[in-house]
Amino acid sequence: MEDKRIELPQGTLDLLILKTLALEPQHGWGISERLQQISKAALQVQQGSLYPALHRLERRGWIKAKWGSSENNRRAKYYQLSRAGRKQLQIEESVWRKLTTAVDRVLETA
Amino acid sequence: MFSDFLFRLRTLLGRKKMEEDLDDELQFHLEKQIGIYVESGANRAEAFRRARLAFGGIDQVKEHCREARGTGLIETLLQDVQYGMRVLRKNATFTLVATVTLAIGIGANTAIFSVIDAVLLHPLPYPNADQLMMVWEDVQLPRYHNDRNTPAPGNFFDWKNQNTVFTDMAAIGYRTFSLTGAGDPVRIEGEAVSPNLFSILQVGLVAGRIFTSEEDRPGADRVVLLGHALWSNRFAADPSIVGKTIHLNDENYTVVGIVPAGFHFPDPDDQLWVPIAFTPQQLGNHGSHYLRVLGRLKPGITLAQAQSQMAAVAARLTRQYPDSNTGVGIQLLSLHDQVVGNVRPALLVLMGAVALVLLMVCGNVTQLLLARASARGKEFAVRLALGATRTRLIRQLLTESILLGLTGGVVGVVIALGGIRLLGLLSPPDLPHIGEIGLNIPVLAFSLAVSVGAGFLFGIVPAFQSSWCPVQESLRESSREHSGTLGAPTRNLLVVAETAIGVIVLVGAGLLWRSFVQLESVPLGFDPQNVLSFRIMLPEKRYPNLARRVSFYQQLSERIESFPAVKSAGAISFLPLTFAGRTSGITIEGEAPPAPDQLPFVDFRSVTPGYFPGMAIPLLEGRGISWGDASNKTLVGVVSQTMARTFWPNEDPVGHRIKLGRPDSSNPWITVVGVVGDVHQFDLISNPRPAIYFPVTQDQRTGDSVRDWVVRTSADPAMVASSVRAAVSAIDGSLPVSRVQTMGDVISVSLARHQFSLFLFGSFALIALILAAVGLYGLISYSVAQRKHEIGIRMALGAQRRDILSLILSQGLRMALLGIATGLVVALAASRLMSTLLYGVTSKDPITFLGVAILLFIVAVVGSYIPSRSALKVDPMEALRYE
Repeated sequence: MEDKRIELPQGTLDLLILKTLALEPQHGWGISERLQQISKAALQVQQGSLYPALHRLERRGWIKAKWGSSENNRRAKYYQLSRAGRKQLQIEESVWRKLTTAVDRVLETA
Repeated sequence: MFSDFLFRLRTLLGRKKMEEDLDDELQFHLEKQIGIYVESGANRAEAFRRARLAFGGIDQVKEHCREARGTGLIETLLQDVQYGMRVLRKNATFTLVATVTLAIGIGANTAIFSVIDAVLLHPLPYPNADQLMMVWEDVQLPRYHNDRNTPAPGNFFDWKNQNTVFTDMAAIGYRTFSLTGAGDPVRIEGEAVSPNLFSILQVGLVAGRIFTSEEDRPGADRVVLLGHALWSNRFAADPSIVGKTIHLNDENYTVVGIVPAGFHFPDPDDQLWVPIAFTPQQLGNHGSHYLRVLGRLKPGITLAQAQSQMAAVAARLTRQYPDSNTGVGIQLLSLHDQVVGNVRPALLVLMGAVALVLLMVCGNVTQLLLARASARGKEFAVRLALGATRTRLIRQLLTESILLGLTGGVVGVVIALGGIRLLGLLSPPDLPHIGEIGLNIPVLAFSLAVSVGAGFLFGIVPAFQSSWCPVQESLRESSREHSGTLGAPTRNLLVVAETAIGVIVLVGAGLLWRSFVQLESVPLGFDPQNVLSFRIMLPEKRYPNLARRVSFYQQLSERIESFPAVKSAGAISFLPLTFAGRTSGITIEGEAPPAPDQLPFVDFRSVTPGYFPGMAIPLLEGRGISWGDASNKTLVGVVSQTMARTFWPNEDPVGHRIKLGRPDSSNPWITVVGVVGDVHQFDLISNPRPAIYFPVTQDQRTGDSVRDWVVRTSADPAMVASSVRAAVSAIDGSLPVSRVQTMGDVISVSLARHQFSLFLFGSFALIALILAAVGLYGLISYSVAQRKHEIGIRMALGAQRRDILSLILSQGLRMALLGIATGLVVALAASRLMSTLLYGVTSKDPITFLGVAILLFIVAVVGSYIPSRSALKVDPMEALRYE
């Protein structure tokens, strides 16, 4: 069976999480769903691998965690972007854009 | 960075909560996902399976989360510690043996370090003590060298006025007092000092004030500062004593202040201080050397700067006073070096010895660990097979050995407590601050560091070797301990190293022992058996002239000699071997006048007629001293054999004349009437110098009072002590009798420091010897166990008992010989560090080296032979079936 989904390059998961959380606070499952939907299932993210990334971002102080109740009243851990995280997101976004334009340029001209 | 630390800390402290939260979070995710699959029509079991699949390994995710939160490292450490404790508890015998060995090593190190901490690192209780300098005359004359010569008052005065490197300088002169009117009459050691001594030391008083400069003048100087102990013992620690009068040497002194407890300067038994009150004549005297001088350097001035300026001052004084100051330089010595300089080499060498012993201990524990690592091979293999990394395994094993080190450290500190008490009992009396030795924070920190360091040291090699364990093989061979060759070269190397270290420690102990034997057998020049000695100082006021003093000496001699148990009694100005004495330049009649710096120096002493028979000093030529040598008759002297040989090499000295001082001095001529044997005057180590004895009956010149008495008895000398006291008080009821001791005691005090180093070093050497034997024993027993199979085959093939024995023995002895050889070579280089501690032997003393080599070889033979015998008990059939 051929898998058409692509694996995430190293380090981009953090960027995607930050971007997702920039819209609204969300729990882990929500993030994973959102990534699936927006990327039209093109990105292959093993759901479990999301969580170490979340804990790492929390430790760096870019996201904050809060326990709340979900839609069906279950205890869920919500993550939201901190001020430092917002700044980090801008940085990573611009780095990413620079990178992709540069790579594009090379691909088009070479 | 800090917030990161806080985060880690919080997660660590709330570990349980964190685990629960993590469970909840992941569980929530799975439930949601299952919900999605169920909605899309899957049954619950299928939905569960798919959700798990989409998620990945839950336990791995959790582990990664923990790592991401930064709890992993500490978590592992806690696990390792728990596991390590379990392992240590399970192997009680191993743990006990290792702990006891380590405890001895760490305990000895802690005890010696506590001495170093108190004596070398914190010896001076004065503020900015590194600015305090002792200032000595550095006398370099052709026939007299002394770089710590006591300065003359004139030199002190000029130094003080001509330098710009010291904030201030104080002179100190030894003085003793007899205190009367406050309990029994008692002899008290004290000092005459410049008033600024106390401000130089920056010592405050408990009560009262220090001397004023007005009181530092002849005539106004009857004021005194009391030592704290004297104040407590004799004056009930009553502060109102300040301003009152006490009786010293039959004169009235006003107490002006009390010094703090523990203040004794410069000597440990000083209890009284009076102004030194130089006369103008004294301040112009450059030829009579008897002071000690202390200075405080100005801030920012280094010892080298001060030394060079003082050298210039000394050169100027030499030009100004060629007769007295030729060859007289200045030597600065920090007070710290002055106080601890004598003991530093011995303490450092002892520290080196205990450190070496600890290395041997580590070697032995390493061996134990290696042996155990072989037994635990399977455990390691399983862990590696299940995915533990080698780093993880090494970390766990190191945690175990550091735990072991710490356990040894705790027991070691208890041993050190006992050791410190023992050190206090055995230490020589002149070791500074011996009373302050104890377990304090720096010492405990040292023990902690040593324990952890030792744990690391003995654990690192076994840990690495275990982590290289061949997994497949170990798991396959079900019953055999894995890889019999594991660490074989390491073990051999360890035994070689241990034996070598043992050789070094033993050589050190051997050299000290040989020195001690040499010292003890030094011909003293007198017979210390059955001699009682004591001291009486005659106060000037009641004994103002020679006639009064001589009458006392004669009366007391006669009274004591009338006791049936007494053979003879006499007195001298300085008892031998008490590190005190007096020298003078002399002129020999008929010799050409020497150059200014060529005057020969000799020891001179005043004695009563009973002194030579009292000490059993043999009369070699002419006659001794008699009561008939009256002051109005020809002045006479008795010279020592060395003096006779030095000045009258081929003649009989009897009849020749000498005088004190230079040829042009007005001192009277003294006729030599006899020659006596040489005596070690100052201490045991320096060779007897030329010496001359004068009859006390003619002693107008020296001003030295005859003070030390010797009484030769036919029985135990201590028995006559009370009769002696009675005889003294029958003549003069207010005279204190002090320093009552046998001549044997005097000599043992003189030997005390050597005895102390020898005892400690000897103990360490014994431990080292045992450790070396145990190391070999361990190597051989292990090797026999490993080679059982091989031995079985050899026996089955017809090898004799002797062949087997020599096979095993030769392995141990080869290692031992290699170790002994290495040790001897290293010791040959290292023993030079001890040369200042040795007497009568060189640091390369062949007898010591040979003796140590033989001793260790014998120990090696015994240590290897005992375990070798077990090889003979191998049953060939059993050994072969064992596979």
